[in-house]
Amino acid sequence: MNTNHIVENLKKEIENFKAQIKVEKVGVVLELFDGIAKVSGLSDIRSSEMVIFGSGVVGVALNLEEDAVGVIILGDFSKIKEGDEVKTTGRILEIPVSDSILGRVVNAIGVPIDGKGALKSTKTYPIEKVAPGVVTRQSVSEPVATGIKVIDAIIPVGRGQRELIIGDRQTGKTALAIDAILNQKGENMICVYVSIGQKDSKLRKIEARLEQGGAMKYTVIVSAGASEAASLSYIAPYTGVSIAEYFMDQGKDVLIIYDDLSKHAVAYREISLLLRRPPGREAYPGDVFYLHSRLLERACRRNEKYGGGSITAFPIIETQAGDISAYIPTNVISITDGQIFLETDLFYKGIRPAVNVGSSVSRVGSSAQIKAMKKVAGTLKLDLAQFRELEAFSQFGSDLDESTKKQLERGKRAVEVLKQLQYAPVKTEHQVVTLYALVKGFMDNVPVARIKEFESGLIDYSGNNAKVFYKEIAESKMWTDKGEEQLKKVITDFKKSFN
Amino acid sequence: MTTISNNDIARAIYAVAKDKSGHERSVILTKVVEFLARRHMLGKSKEILSQLRKIINKETRTVEANVLSAKALPAKTKKELEHILTKRYSAKEIILNEELDPKLLGGFRVEVNNEVIDLTLKNKIAQLQNFLTRSTA
Repeated sequence: MNTNHIVENLKKEIENFKAQIKVEKVGVVLELFDGIAKVSGLSDIRSSEMVIFGSGVVGVALNLEEDAVGVIILGDFSKIKEGDEVKTTGRILEIPVSDSILGRVVNAIGVPIDGKGALKSTKTYPIEKVAPGVVTRQSVSEPVATGIKVIDAIIPVGRGQRELIIGDRQTGKTALAIDAILNQKGENMICVYVSIGQKDSKLRKIEARLEQGGAMKYTVIVSAGASEAASLSYIAPYTGVSIAEYFMDQGKDVLIIYDDLSKHAVAYREISLLLRRPPGREAYPGDVFYLHSRLLERACRRNEKYGGGSITAFPIIETQAGDISAYIPTNVISITDGQIFLETDLFYKGIRPAVNVGSSVSRVGSSAQIKAMKKVAGTLKLDLAQFRELEAFSQFGSDLDESTKKQLERGKRAVEVLKQLQYAPVKTEHQVVTLYALVKGFMDNVPVARIKEFESGLIDYSGNNAKVFYKEIAESKMWTDKGEEQLKKVITDFKKSFN
Repeated sequence: MTTISNNDIARAIYAVAKDKSGHERSVILTKVVEFLARRHMLGKSKEILSQLRKIINKETRTVEANVLSAKALPAKTKKELEHILTKRYSAKEIILNEELDPKLLGGFRVEVNNEVIDLTLKNKIAQLQNFLTRSTA
């Protein structure tokens, strides 16, 4: 390409250019704090309208006062000076969306940060939207296969549900969510992972892990890192759910993970205090409940008449020293349709995932469970409940009567079966086979230490020999007598060879 | 505690002093200053005065326009501008505050309250720059 060519190209471009003449509303930056600006003027501005600072940085008007406007700055606020001009745009904050966003890592305003080039998109979605109304919704009835045995069996999650993952630091909350994304391969699900105030190194690890598991093809990562301004952390989940809505509007099912909403609430508290909004309990502003409820209400399952599609949300909350009665945890527990409670004690006992089955619930998910799973999970729940009750006696060993001993032994095996390695999701039909063998007592005389070995062996063996059973599960989600007979025979045969 | 905004004070001053003149007005204004001193609000007098100016302009339908230009505007252009502004804001009177700024390169820029009509060359060049960098991205 020679210089003449460049000049010709430039000329052509310049021909297409027409200067726009329009009346603009402007204001002047009066004060500037961390990520917040107070701006005079800007008459007739709307709440959460986008504004543009002289240096090109975008902001959002949050506080409309009599003679000034409080603006959060979404970008590098070090470039903004007192006295800078600010222009209104007449638009509510929006992000570019397109199908090509899949597999990308974007920041809180939808700009790619993974170095794979710009995103081409013709459509934009506003980041704040009113959640779908009652007439457009449908109740939850399709399962989300997370591939985690304890969740799929005991705390099942349906498409369109909001299930909270709650626990202390280092209890495997993110690991649970990442496993759920990994298991969506071939499940016809788009995943959005929103990382709020997380370390960039952690995000990098997650991205590499998803890439390795082939999950980035159907996943979008929205990131507002710990080093970025609080305002970006504040809008990141709304950006994430807008991307999810873009896919839901095409009738697709979407799984969105907010990691984590405690940091989101902290970012919002920071902004609110800088904007001089009155602090309430734990210094959070009065509308911190609405902050999360309006976000999580956007997770829904739409009925066929309105195009179908669903958004399943997994918000994550980090507790301090297991205190689930703090302000933000209680808020989010009451908003969601259930919670998965992870405990440090269980984690260090080696029960991983460290799900506390007693305090975890799923309020709507059981109607989404497939029939076969429901059948085996019902007995499993009972076994576990009885086990917890009797656990205290387990130290007395031989002094117990036969039936109590039996229950204890069964419980120990149930706990062992529900343990699972990280990044190793299990398919639903395999879960059914394992749990079937457990609750029907086939594992009772297998030593606890060898349960894992038995489980993996059984899955391999049954894959070739219990074809009728698997076919029935795949087709009608439930076994018939014929399939059950075959499975029983397969398990008995396998047991003989196991010893 | 309910706070009184600058705008409230300016409105109150306008309401009491509106129909008064001469001695009566000066008595009122002295009382206003006394009131502000008592409430430790003298520091805000600049803002209050600017609000008061806005209120008076609104009531008398006067429009104050700041005109920034690179070179002094010819009388004809000024007349046309006044005509357009009178129509746009349905004003009775237009006050043009002219200012010269060679950095604008050419054309002029009109500011009324916080509305801006930018017809300067500088703005056009900035728009062109934006256009060219965006279309190649």
